Amino acid sequence: MNVNGADIVLFTGGAGEPLVFLHGAGTVSGFNFSASWAQRFKVYLPYHPGFGESADSAAIASIDDYVLHYLELLDHLELDEVRLVGLSLGGWIAARLAAQNSHRLKKLVLVGPAGLRVPEHPTTDIFRLKPGELPSYLVQDPGVLAPYVPDPQSPDFLDFLVNDYHEMSSFARLAWERPYDPDLAKWLHRIDVPTLLLYGDKDRITPAPQSKTWAGLIPNAVVRIVKDAGHLVLDEKEEARKAVLDFIS
Amino acid sequence: MRWQDDLQFYSMHFMPYVHLPPDQEKYDSLWVDFSNKHYDPEKGHQLYQRYFRELVLADELGYDGLVVNEHHNTEYSMMPVCTAAAAALIPMTRRAKICVFGVPVNFVMPNRLAEEYAMLDVMSGGRLEIAFPLGTGMEYWSNSVVNPASARAKFRESIDIMIQAWTEDGPTTYDGEFYNYRYLNVWPRPYQKPYPRCYIVGTGSPETIAFAAERGWGYASVFVPISQQVKTFKAMREMMPKHGHEMTPAKAMANTIVYVAETNEIAEKEALEHIKYYFTVAARTTPRYLAPPGYISLDQFRIRAGTATKMHGGFDWDEMTKNWRVAVGTPERVAEKIAAWCEEADSSRVICHHHIGDMPHWKVVKNMTMFAEEVIPRLRPREKQVSTLKAQLSPQ
Repeated sequence: MNVNGADIVLFTGGAGEPLVFLHGAGTVSGFNFSASWAQRFKVYLPYHPGFGESADSAAIASIDDYVLHYLELLDHLELDEVRLVGLSLGGWIAARLAAQNSHRLKKLVLVGPAGLRVPEHPTTDIFRLKPGELPSYLVQDPGVLAPYVPDPQSPDFLDFLVNDYHEMSSFARLAWERPYDPDLAKWLHRIDVPTLLLYGDKDRITPAPQSKTWAGLIPNAVVRIVKDAGHLVLDEKEEARKAVLDFIS
Repeated sequence: MRWQDDLQFYSMHFMPYVHLPPDQEKYDSLWVDFSNKHYDPEKGHQLYQRYFRELVLADELGYDGLVVNEHHNTEYSMMPVCTAAAAALIPMTRRAKICVFGVPVNFVMPNRLAEEYAMLDVMSGGRLEIAFPLGTGMEYWSNSVVNPASARAKFRESIDIMIQAWTEDGPTTYDGEFYNYRYLNVWPRPYQKPYPRCYIVGTGSPETIAFAAERGWGYASVFVPISQQVKTFKAMREMMPKHGHEMTPAKAMANTIVYVAETNEIAEKEALEHIKYYFTVAARTTPRYLAPPGYISLDQFRIRAGTATKMHGGFDWDEMTKNWRVAVGTPERVAEKIAAWCEEADSSRVICHHHIGDMPHWKVVKNMTMFAEEVIPRLRPREKQVSTLKAQLSPQ
């Protein structure tokens, strides 16, 4: 579909009140974790412009551009009282959107959100990781990602590399200079909907102790830390998927 | 033949740091993250002394240009500030052009680079030539305050600013996407009018070819096979007239690795280990460092995935002599090869790498001297040789 000039791919499923999920900087593991949510909500799963199956958009080059893009998408779909769930980069966009437009939301869930500067527990600069290192930073159990990564000898592997380079290029436009927004902390107090901060305790990208800083800045926030899980806690643990569902229901 | 009318030979130096630890093989990349703890400044000082002597010799032997360039965080080159090397060469040399090929403008302010180049041009009395590289992927990791995803747009704008600074009486203003100048007014102005001869340096991506063609500038390819370089020049010949320019042989730079000796066997025996060192050690890096995110288009990424590393760590002599301008042998053999390459690419500008990898001084002197005395005369028309000789003999 086309949102004011941006060609995007949006998946929807289920029925009920709207739940919008904003994905992280890498989309390779897909959206399987959201299946149980669709039993109770109408789930909207957009690819950000420049990520996954969505086209690049020259007009969308900053976090605020993404925020405004998603406000336009909400307008376009005539959605209000939205449950907004954001993972990692998606959490950064969601937090910024919520700080500016809390009234469009019913509840907010930030899963291992990026975007906040926490000097004592810094976000990993993924541009500094070597390709082979990334999986161990994303998940506690490498088996969770294995099905999504083609064999290096297979013909699909080049497509996999190109998609990864595409998403890292789009992410570089947003976060090459620094993997956070120095101004975000100043405005998080404006989020006036119930907010869940969800982490895997072994998160090596956005360490779980960052949750304290977030919770100190967002007025009505609760923290849930899931044991034996990494950054992609939604893929790794049914307990995490259920925690989201319980919180937004 | 068109290319022979104005045939010129440049001698290029990377000034590498060659005193590497014995376990250097264990490092995937000798760029970006190869620790500077391996750099010994005293050995570096000796190398600078020697390398500058080699370029001075090139001037004395009558080479038309001395080429320096810039790389960062690597043993490959000790010239992270190549304008400093160029400034040092000016009073040490007499007639050769000083070719700065060049500073990646994205890592400095464009007005500052316009000033540096203008200084060099005025100081040398108009001996400066300039090439504009985008900078290898590795430089964007080493200078990581600059975003590779917007590098090409910033590159174009920066060059626009420099040309404006050189061609319009200041002060002027510039209102761009990356820079806003209130008083663009560089002192000094370039010695040459309107400004020194400029080239684009690149790996032949469609973006940089189009950019050079629009401006009518020359093009110098690095790290790409001959066939691709020839394609680049062909594309430029087609595109230039659309922009009101003509592609001439002087705008087609042919990069060569040369080594000349008494016999083919001696030449190969003396040169091969250093050529191998150049590709397998000096230039060794990883695919990740070659292509930081956003640095190349997805189409280019798809083409390059898997092939670029051949140039930056691999070595296959047969493939190399087929795909790269490597001429090793007697003066006859080397001259024949160069004539064929110039003919094929319609190029009259030959950049020679006389110092290769970890080559010792005596081989560089031998190579550079034999090339000047026995290869160049075989390639240049007789009348041109006489005029060059006169220029060498005329009192300053």
